[in-house]
Amino acid sequence: MSRSEVPAVIFIGQPNSGKSTLFNSIAGNKAETSNFPGTSIKHTHSRVNIEGRLLDVVDLPGTYSLCSSDPAERVVLTHLFAEKPDLVVNVVDASTLSRGLELTLELVELGYPTVVALNMVDVAERKGIELDAAGAERLLGVPVVPTIAAHGRGVRELLDRAFEVIDKGQSLKPVRFSDDVETEVAAVERSLPSGFPVISNPRFTAVKLIETAGHACGDFLGEVEPALREAVDRALKAIEKDRGAPAYEVISAERHHLAMKLAEETSRVLHGKRMTWDKKIDAVLMHPFLGYVILAAVFLAFFVIIFEVGSPLETLLLGPFSRLREALAAGLGDGLLFHLAEGLIQGVGGGVAIVLPYFLPLLLLMSALEDTGYLARAGFLLDAFMHRIGLHGKSVSPFILGFGCNVPAIVSTRILESQRDRILTSLLIPFIPCSARTTIVLALIAFYLGPFWAMGFYAVNILIVALVGWAVSRFMKEPSPGLILEIPSLKAPRPGAIVRKTWLQIVSFVKFAWPILIGGSLLLSLLSYFRADRVINDVLAPLVVKGLGLPHELGVTLVFGFLRKELSLIMMLQALGVDYQNLMTVISREQIVVFTVFISFFIPCLSTFVIMWKEIGKKWAFLSVGLSIGVALALSWAVRLVL
Amino acid sequence: MNLLDAPRGTPLRIVDLAGGESVRRRLMALGFHKGDVVELDGQAILRGPMLVRNCTSDTTVALGRGVAQKILVEAVHEPV
Repeated sequence: MSRSEVPAVIFIGQPNSGKSTLFNSIAGNKAETSNFPGTSIKHTHSRVNIEGRLLDVVDLPGTYSLCSSDPAERVVLTHLFAEKPDLVVNVVDASTLSRGLELTLELVELGYPTVVALNMVDVAERKGIELDAAGAERLLGVPVVPTIAAHGRGVRELLDRAFEVIDKGQSLKPVRFSDDVETEVAAVERSLPSGFPVISNPRFTAVKLIETAGHACGDFLGEVEPALREAVDRALKAIEKDRGAPAYEVISAERHHLAMKLAEETSRVLHGKRMTWDKKIDAVLMHPFLGYVILAAVFLAFFVIIFEVGSPLETLLLGPFSRLREALAAGLGDGLLFHLAEGLIQGVGGGVAIVLPYFLPLLLLMSALEDTGYLARAGFLLDAFMHRIGLHGKSVSPFILGFGCNVPAIVSTRILESQRDRILTSLLIPFIPCSARTTIVLALIAFYLGPFWAMGFYAVNILIVALVGWAVSRFMKEPSPGLILEIPSLKAPRPGAIVRKTWLQIVSFVKFAWPILIGGSLLLSLLSYFRADRVINDVLAPLVVKGLGLPHELGVTLVFGFLRKELSLIMMLQALGVDYQNLMTVISREQIVVFTVFISFFIPCLSTFVIMWKEIGKKWAFLSVGLSIGVALALSWAVRLVL
Repeated sequence: MNLLDAPRGTPLRIVDLAGGESVRRRLMALGFHKGDVVELDGQAILRGPMLVRNCTSDTTVALGRGVAQKILVEAVHEPV
């Protein structure tokens, strides 16, 4: 055991290997999510007690190899290399064994104590593949335990083997490459100067130096260690000359073939023809016509469910809060204390009753769609459309999330490899009508002008997203590397895993957003107590009255709109001094449309702005504000001209 | 021929991965190497991405046309 008493166990595996499911079944619900220092990339960790023994378990984001050019994956590797865990649990998807083993071989080269969880053996069985775990264990030299994480099968054995390795230690022998490659690796290994920051062992370090030449640490190596740099260059040239391919490709191919051989030796195909039902379903899901019909149906059902669940739940939850407010108003009078209490109630009430009813069903459904593998298929279907706005299919899932709430949507742009795609997607997300804005659209436009107007509003909104995307991508020409998106095999949704994932997301959202909501509401209460709303109205009058043709009193609602979009609806009624049913007596249809359009677009809400600042930087967050104001003004004027 | 011109539903062997280093590294990380046998499983409308299945590891990826163009293949005649 290294520094501390509690052994550190790191879970690592390729995306879609079921790693997080396995992790969650061990870590339980107490797991916490935090960022790697200085980055926005998250890992989940937990301290667990297994029959009286403590373990610190860490779930790293999925990574395909230990030699990645992907910035997110590289942070994972830095963590893995620096932490020197007491045990690595490598989760391998048994149904795609040969690819998973490439990472396993790298981990064996790395040489930290390792246990392999051969996961989803049931899926492999369905495909007609019988696996020989004992054989794989013999060939790899590490314990290999078959598991079905979704059902908790094999977890017990996995933990037993893990403790065995932690207690007794383990010495790993890397599987050797071809002799010519090994000769070059050995040469670099010999050139490692004493005191060089070796990662785990000299051989692994030498292999990585050759593989990453020109990347990662390759760049500054020449300045610090010229002799080593020379040795690496010599090895690169020798390998390239021998094999007629770059060294990184040769080493990757070596591992690829070793993994294929291992997979062949340890698996037996039982029946020649694979079960084809999931292939058949996939043929329909990604059919050039039916696929889109299903996609449209899924989206429609998605929103119907969210609003069918969300609005009754919201009414139910808001009731007690407004009763509490009335009781306080009666008891406390109109003093400062009441205003502060009111702000607190509104903040908490907003957090509980406005955000959660829509957010919770949305997250559950999103997790389900993701868990089954459908989101990747939606990305495949919509890729061609996304190309028109300078993006590709991987941006589809952040956009879909955006309909619920822009904040998690912007966070989820982390799945995009290129920084340019992340920025462009994040700039477009604030134009997607989130559930708060949908509430306003439904309450104002659908109620007063009819459902067709609301649908028209949505259509125009999506057109705006496309137009802005097209326009912004003119200025961000840097070619996108193109779509490379894994389509994981279809899985039946597993309620336990979905609920756990949703729970983690809710907790991290609540921690982030509630302080802002409550603080903002308190601030606004103070503003209205000190009658600052009049000042705000006067300041904003040129824009509100002259620019938009709206009543003078509505100026202050814009400020509320910045804090929380749906607040501007309530504040609008309050500012105009009417109740919902009599709105049309003080304001015209045209004004309703202008107000809705302007409120929807004029600025990303405070939470969105903050998360954008955090994720892609101050510059882009402010650019997004400017973009929103410009679009909102242009649209509002267009509406005034047309109506 | 490259993947764009390749027939659907028949085994194809990857002859070469052209294109920039980052794309090649990404493809290799996803388990696509020279010599592998792949199959085209489908294509999205409007010049959308291609669905490519690696027959060895039984993994499927969606590749944009720009990426697919960089993958050179030949038809495989003997049974795999």
